[in-house]
Parts: sequence; C-alpha cells; structure tokens
Amino acid sequence: MSRVAIIGVGQTHHQRRRADVNVPGLVREAAQRALADARLEMSDIDSVVVASGPVLFAAVNQPEKWVVDALGARGKPVVRITSGGGTGFAGALAAYYQVAGGQADRVLVVAYDKLSEGALQASISSLYDPFWGREFAVGIMGFSAAYWRARMDKLGHTEEAAARVVVKNLGNALRNPYAHVRKTVTVDDVLNSAPLAWPIKLLDVPPISDGAAAVVLTREELVARHTDSPAFIRGIAYCAEADNAPQRSMLLSEPLAHAARVVYRASGITNPRRQLDVVEVQEPYSCFELSYYESLGLCRPGGAAELIASGATGMGGDIPVNPSGGCLGANPIGAAGLIRLIEAAMQVSGRAGEHQVPGARLAAAQTGGGWANLRGLAVVSAD
Amino acid sequence: MSFQGSQPVAIVATAQTQWRSSWSQAQHIDLIAAAVQNALKGSGLDIRDVDFVIDSGSDVLDGRSISNCGFLGAMGAHHKEESRVEDDGLWAAQYGVAKIASGSAQVGLIIAYSKPSESDVRQFYLTMADPFIQRPVGLDQDSACGLQAQRYLHTHQLTPADLAEVTVAAWRKASSNPTVELDQVPTVSQVLASPPVATPLTQAMMARPVDGAVVIILANAHVARRVSTDPVWIRGMGAAMDSSVFAKRDAQLDVCRQAAQKAYARAGLSPEQMDLAETSAASAAAELMTLEALGLAQPGKAIDLFRKGRDASINASGGALPANPIMATGLVRLSEAALALWGQRGSAAKSSRRAVVHASSGIAAQSHCVFVVEVERS
Repeated sequence: MSRVAIIGVGQTHHQRRRADVNVPGLVREAAQRALADARLEMSDIDSVVVASGPVLFAAVNQPEKWVVDALGARGKPVVRITSGGGTGFAGALAAYYQVAGGQADRVLVVAYDKLSEGALQASISSLYDPFWGREFAVGIMGFSAAYWRARMDKLGHTEEAAARVVVKNLGNALRNPYAHVRKTVTVDDVLNSAPLAWPIKLLDVPPISDGAAAVVLTREELVARHTDSPAFIRGIAYCAEADNAPQRSMLLSEPLAHAARVVYRASGITNPRRQLDVVEVQEPYSCFELSYYESLGLCRPGGAAELIASGATGMGGDIPVNPSGGCLGANPIGAAGLIRLIEAAMQVSGRAGEHQVPGARLAAAQTGGGWANLRGLAVVSAD
Repeated sequence: MSFQGSQPVAIVATAQTQWRSSWSQAQHIDLIAAAVQNALKGSGLDIRDVDFVIDSGSDVLDGRSISNCGFLGAMGAHHKEESRVEDDGLWAAQYGVAKIASGSAQVGLIIAYSKPSESDVRQFYLTMADPFIQRPVGLDQDSACGLQAQRYLHTHQLTPADLAEVTVAAWRKASSNPTVELDQVPTVSQVLASPPVATPLTQAMMARPVDGAVVIILANAHVARRVSTDPVWIRGMGAAMDSSVFAKRDAQLDVCRQAAQKAYARAGLSPEQMDLAETSAASAAAELMTLEALGLAQPGKAIDLFRKGRDASINASGGALPANPIMATGLVRLSEAALALWGQRGSAAKSSRRAVVHASSGIAAQSHCVFVVEVERS
C-alpha cells in the first residue's frame, strides 16, 4: 500500500528573458536544484519526464531529445508529456503513475518554457480548428474575455473582483523570490489599465516568462532516505472536456469539478474551504481565479466576488489562494502547472519562506490547459 | 491514494484503420473515431467502461498546437482523464500500463494516429536536431540514417544488396497484411535502383510514411478475464534514450539493447523464448541493427535470419518499412503482435505464445521502447 511523495523541488528565478542560458541550460538549472533538494545525483534517477508547452512555442520538435544531454539522462527512459498550459502538472501525473505502478522508484519531472524565443499568441491561435475556428481566433484572449463577460452576467464576476485578484497576487509575488513581476498595484490601477479584449485589461494578464521547474517523486518507503520534509500526494487527477460537447457551458469548469470530486474523495476532503489550509491555482487571466474558487468548492457558484472581497483568500485569510503570486507573478507556461504543485508542497512541508502560510498541513494545487477544457487538481499533505 | 501494488495488465482488444500513403478524404478525427469505435466493437466494453485515454500524436505533424484538444471527442475522452505523450504510441501504452498497474484504473484506451501526408516529414525530423550544432549542417533523418547504415555495412562487411533483400522481405509480408495499402512488392533490383537518399540507402530502403490510427484497449486482470478468452499480458517493459549528439552515439544501438534487457528481465524471459518480433525501424539497416540489439541475432548476423528464410516470425506484419505512421508505428507493432498471438494474422502464428515489440523515435533511433508480451496457452 505505497503512497507517492515529492522529495525534492527546484525552480529557476523566472524572468521575462533569460539570455544567459539556452533551453537545455534552463532545464538543467531547475533539475539540478530539485536533485540537490532531494540529496540525489542524476545517477540515482530511474526515469525522466520532460514537460513543455506546445512545440510551436519554440520551434524545436521533441525537445526532450535535445535536453537529455544537459540533464545527464543519457541511457535512461525519457518521455515528454504535453498538455498545453497544464503540461507541467500533466508531467507530474505521468511520473506519479510510473512510481505508483512500480515502473520506477525515483522519477525526475522537469517542466519549462522559454517564451522569449517564440511567437506565443500566434502559436496559441493554431490550437483552433483549421476549418471553422482559426480565422477568428486571436490567441486565447478573445475567447477568455467572452466567457468572463458571460460570468459577469450570470455569476457576478465583476471587473472589481478580478482586479482584487491582481492586487492580491502581485502583493504576494513580492514575497516570492522566484516570481518575476515585482510591483504593487491598486484596484484602480487595474481598472484603469489599457483594455485588451474587454473586460480583460493589461493588468489582468500574467507576464510572459522564461522559466523551469522540477520535482523528484518516490514511493513512501524510500522517503526517509532523502528528506524529513516530504509532501505526500493524497490525490491527483487531470480531466478533459471534449471541445465539441454541445452541452458545454463553461460558466463553471466541468472538468475541474470532475477532477475535484475524484481528488477530494481520494484525500478525504468533504469541506474544502474548512479542511484545506492553502490553495495554489493556475490563473491564465485574473478572472479565471474567481471561476476556480467556485469549481473547487471554496464558495458556492456565484460567491467568488464576495469571497475575494472578504479577504479570505488573502495571506491573512482562512483559505489563502496563491501565496506565491500565481501566474500573475511568473508565467513560464509549460512549467506553471508544476510550479503550483511545488508551491503547495513547499507550503505543507513548511519551507515556503516569506510566503509561508503558518501551520499549513493540507494544500491543493490546481492546473489547466488547452481550450479551457483540460483541468487538473492535486491535494498534498505533510503526512 | 493507496495502491494495490503492481497489478497485471493485458491487451484485450485492438483496432487499426488501413494504413495508406494518403487518407485524403478523411480528417484526423475520422481516422481516430473509426479506430476507437472498432476497438470497442465486440470487446465486451463500451466507452463508459473506459477510465482514461492516453494518446500519441505530434503538434508539428498536425500543424496545430495542443492538437489532442481538438480530438478529445473523437478519442472518447469527454469527462475522462486524458494525457498526451508526444512520442511514439508505445510510450503512451507504457504510461497506460503504469496507470492500471497502480490499481487506480481498470480500463484505458491507448490511441496513436498520424497524417504525415498533410505535412513535411523532412522538416519534422530536421527540427528535432538542436538549432546550434547539428541543424546548421543539415543533420536530418535521411543523412543520419545514411551515416548509420554506412557504418553498419562497413563494420559487418555487408552490401546494399543485403539491405534490398530485407526491404523486399518486409514488403512481401506486408502484401498479405490487409491493413497495409500496397500496390506491388518491389524486387531487389528495383529497391537498389530507386532514388538515392543518403549513401548507401535508397528511397525504397526507408520506412514509408503512411496515414491512419491505431487503438489498444488495456485492462486489469479482473476485467481482462471477464471480457477476453485470451488476454495478451504485458510481462515486461523497458525504455532508454541516447544522446542527442549523433556523433557521440555507439554503432550498435546500445540504448535499444538496454531497453530490451530491462524488458526481458522484468518478464523473466530471454530473447530465445520469443516466438514473434515486431520492430520499428526507419531504414532497412536500422531494422537489422534493431534485431541484433533485441538479442534476436548476434552483431552483424541479423541478415542470416533473412537469408535462411527464418524470418517468418520477424515483423510478420511487414513491419515499419512498408508502413510507418510516424508517432503510431510502435503501437501498431503492439497491435500486430496481439493480433498474431490471437491467431488473426495467418496460420504460422497460431502456436506462438510470446512476442517482443519495439518502438524507436528521434533522428536515427535516438530513443527506444521495448515490450515483452505473452498469452497463456493451456
């Protein structure tokens, strides 16, 4: 009856542009930090999972076959998982099953994107159907704006509520040494920033970052050899919603609600607001964080604006969300989902430093990718 | 979550579309949906029984970012757990086996598809080369396979005519495989006279890109014994990746050997105990090298299997040379091995119990994945 634990984590200091390293150098930096954290050498690793955003972001096809040398992983199983924005989390999920299924004892997961080197929104636009979707697609922003607008009408997800998410997350990012955006903003600053695709405005949008993140997973029996502050994965799932499902409403994220049901059941959570100590969510725009509050059961549907206004999801609140600053603080897309898992693990192992939630024992990490139709959740605990 | 340990996993059903040089009248979703529906048909399972979907495909070949997103409906993944492995489908199967072995799922669909007819295959491989050192000198699949083949022929004192013989054998076997679209089987002299690609390889000695989709249904023992009279059990798996630097690699596909040794060790079986082999190779020379790395022949001696007519059990489907659906080739090998072990691929295979299945990917086979599978015969 083995469980799977995170025994080492590592991140780069995310930046708008890392001109000092190429992709393999960036990947190696995060991997070395995770290995050192787990007191391991690459020779101790049985298997490597590489995760990065769409290949069209960077114009190197199957880049795991490029970075294998920089990782020192020649001769090991190396496989790449892709899943749009949630790819880092999806990589951790694959590694989790390698351990849980008895294929490997110690698996290194490394996730990255070096977005300064590609045409980001043009690459994202190519995810739409070439026959009926692509000609009116402009990246992912227009689509996200349309659904935020619908949520404003149906669920009261006001511009002010989303602006409060920005103020909170950027405030938290100031205490996270790995975040790349360092500025203090007010609700008025956000509301008065330039509209890009109304209601999305400039300050509702995360930065574009170069960055990588890595974790080492192992089974419970081996944990004590490597660390006295592990984070156990109590439940993890990553679910899909078919893009052409006619009943798809997207006011609430069905795949996230589905993943939450699975993961909460596995981790014994019946009241997430009360039981969880801290939550990390991957918010591609500020408005998505409001939607996730509801799908994760932190409040009732339509209660998100009230929840953020109450301060409950702030650092002093009863359910802090994104103490790290979330994607608004740093957004190397392919790594962003894994960073959420790392931050949740650091919180429950008491190693989150200046943005530690005091006494956190149980944390959730949410992720998402694709056309808002791939959504995942994990719950981690200190024991 | 707690796990039941490492549970046995079996193939209970499989389906393929026909492999054609071009499926010009069908979209990706048509090919994928056809394979999924045919795999479920008669399997005793329906889509509601499927716990998860793992798929293989390439954003680069598809010309579409996160292309799995556009195919989720066709794959039957709506409201299920889904992941994309951007490598050959045999790696997707490896993921699926782990998921079921963990005890957290019972039934999974493994899907791989390819439509290289809509893409530039040379660019697909060229963009795998690192942009700083190897790409500027034009290292791509053709040039790397040519260098690899030249070294192999030189080391073992073989000739291009030997490679032509391997090619003809593969196409002859494919001609009796109903899922491979084929005009005619070439002769040795036609293979040698086909356009040169990279010395010593001619176009006919290279794996032919084809369009299509393949599906494998994996199940745990509880389900497999209820829906199948003859589950194909996954006994062992292994994978390994070599350096990206072509000049640093050894001459004998050593990482393929490592992957195979791990798979055999897990299975507690030896290469001599394999009744069938299905391999994925980009060229006729790579096919010989692969057979040797899998332990089915001594170094330099795989050609003897073909000369002595002992090759009936080697790539009985025709293998990857006549039909190479890039990203799906290895999963097709697994599908073909299962069909052969079920006696659905000609009379010779009916007494067979065990098969070794191989996938490779990357420029000149940088990465390898090996499965050992077995049926129980009373």
